[in-house]
Amino acid sequence: MPTRLRQVLPHGVMLLAAVFLYWAATLIDVDTGGRIGPAVWPKTIIVIMGLLCAYEVVKRLVSDAPGEVRALGVPEGEGGGAKGLPEHPRKLFGGIALIAAYVVAVPWLGFFVTTALFLAAFPWVAGLRRPVLTAALGIAGSLALVVVFMRIAYISLPFGEGPFRALSLALLRAIGF
Amino acid sequence: MDVITHLAAGFGVVFTPVNVLVLVIGLVLGMLVAVLPGLTLVMGVVLALPFTYKMGVAPALILLTAMYVSGTYGGAITSILFRIPGEPMDVPLIWDGYEMTRQGNAALALGWSLVAAFVGGIVSAVVMVALAKPVAHIALSFSSPEFFAIVFFGLASVVTLSGTSLVNSLISLCLGLLIATVGVDSIYGAERFAFGLPFLLDGLEFLLVMVGAYGIGEVLTRMNTGFASEGHAESKDGRFRTAFPKLSQMLRMKATFARGTLSGMIVGVVPGAGATVSAFVAYGLEAQYGKNGKALGTGAPEGIVAAKSAATASVGGAFVPLLAMGIPGSGATAIILAAFLLHGIQPGPQVFVSSPELINTVFATVFASVIGMCILGYVAIKPLCRVLDAPEAIVSAFVVVFCFVGAFAQRNSLPDLYVISIFGLLGFLFERFRFPLAPLVLGTILGPLAEGNFMTTMVSFDNDWTVFFTRPISGTILALSVVGLLWPVGRAAWARYRKANLDEQPGTP
Repeated sequence: MPTRLRQVLPHGVMLLAAVFLYWAATLIDVDTGGRIGPAVWPKTIIVIMGLLCAYEVVKRLVSDAPGEVRALGVPEGEGGGAKGLPEHPRKLFGGIALIAAYVVAVPWLGFFVTTALFLAAFPWVAGLRRPVLTAALGIAGSLALVVVFMRIAYISLPFGEGPFRALSLALLRAIGF
Repeated sequence: MDVITHLAAGFGVVFTPVNVLVLVIGLVLGMLVAVLPGLTLVMGVVLALPFTYKMGVAPALILLTAMYVSGTYGGAITSILFRIPGEPMDVPLIWDGYEMTRQGNAALALGWSLVAAFVGGIVSAVVMVALAKPVAHIALSFSSPEFFAIVFFGLASVVTLSGTSLVNSLISLCLGLLIATVGVDSIYGAERFAFGLPFLLDGLEFLLVMVGAYGIGEVLTRMNTGFASEGHAESKDGRFRTAFPKLSQMLRMKATFARGTLSGMIVGVVPGAGATVSAFVAYGLEAQYGKNGKALGTGAPEGIVAAKSAATASVGGAFVPLLAMGIPGSGATAIILAAFLLHGIQPGPQVFVSSPELINTVFATVFASVIGMCILGYVAIKPLCRVLDAPEAIVSAFVVVFCFVGAFAQRNSLPDLYVISIFGLLGFLFERFRFPLAPLVLGTILGPLAEGNFMTTMVSFDNDWTVFFTRPISGTILALSVVGLLWPVGRAAWARYRKANLDEQPGTP
């Protein structure tokens, strides 16, 4: 991707989002009897956001060395790429995929099984290649979390469906729930 | 006298057996998250929040407050001993604390850090108790234009102090304010940005935004830069102890203590500027105005005292706007605000009338936490350093699960897991493309308050927007906010002008 296009991409995407959201805000339709309506506040914010994004896009397109007005204070943290540290896109996408898989699987597999698989797989994807440790960690960690959240903190977590539900219930009975 | 009686009642609540246990757990957890690789103080407090759902409001506030206070100290130990700042606020401690360690004075550096944290914490707690009630009394006389102006000031200061591009900070804030508008609006009941999805009609809880952006977003950011798969070998070096400086040495440094504590409290009061900004501001002030300012960075204890007293003092400062006006002064106080709200209590001037015992409990907890933090910081150096051995990849896997449980447990809603995952990705992208997260999160939290007061004012004053500027208090606060927002622009323009002038001078290369 050309450098200039890459530079304007984040603000360009936000600008498109602002245009879309403005369109969505025009659909907010209530009879307010002449008083200020519920669309005014979001529309004002969207216009400000859109103008800021447009300004940044234009500035980056026309300027050879884009300078920026820095806010005061201390940066709260910058991304690896921004700091010039090496990036690991494969690990990143692996992590994103695991997080997505957890969200999709937890209603079916239940908290215990999904968490055990996740706790075992995540360190592996992140580069910790010690299969016995990660497998043990998955099972022991998930069991510990079930005890902490469901037995001690009384938080109701998904049981899963079918055999996984039966497994979750058996586990809860085993820990005295 | 009245204040002391109320404070004593607060201590009475804190020192029941269960609450003492909760306090100790909070102190230990706060220290751990400040030291653990891959966890930040704000993330740690976020992760503790689900455990408070089933607690009473007092233990919930004790747990989170204790974590917040002790979380400002833990990272000091690893900064001074191993040059590993647990939190950004601990970076200035490397410059002098680690230098002292290299010179063979590690024990004394730890002692200075502990004394500074104690002085900053206790003095700011006293000032917090003294200030909160009068500020709440003043706030009681405020009407919607004044509240809008105060919230606007808070949002403007978050943007101004974000430390990154001003434009990006403003965009981040706008997005946060927009997220807060999702769902059914509170005045007309109009549906906004729900796109036909039923779960969006209830709105997007700011907790989901915080947990996603700070928790999962941070994990993804660290994953992208590569986790350290094993712990830090330095932590196996076993000789850790603390040696306190002499009283005469401390008295010689009283101006440094005063500067650090005062700047920490003042910066702490400003919404969005927490312990990190306080520590850096105090260090800068000490370098500029301190008697030994030129020696900073070479292992001078003044550098440790200034940064550490300011970081701890910011806690008391941050509680003042939270308790008196319902406006969080930092990321951690935003989560404590969430704990209040989850128990059906809206902090602000009214809470001093309706639930004074809770306010006194928070006050007492801050005092008890500062003392507990110092005791723990003295006795638990060795185990805290051992925590560095935990592989970051494993810690991060648990962080993700804690984030999911926190998001799910609030209202037992599976779509909330999708929501925090999306905000986790957004948090990562924000970090990656250098958009600050604090304005996004504070915008989501304060958005309903800003919009509510804006709309109420417009309805009450027949759509006359000039009322915000013609009323003396709101006009002054809004003018200050605008000056704050324009300050970085003016500063950049002045720097460009000076550079251009220098370039034009003959003989300049």
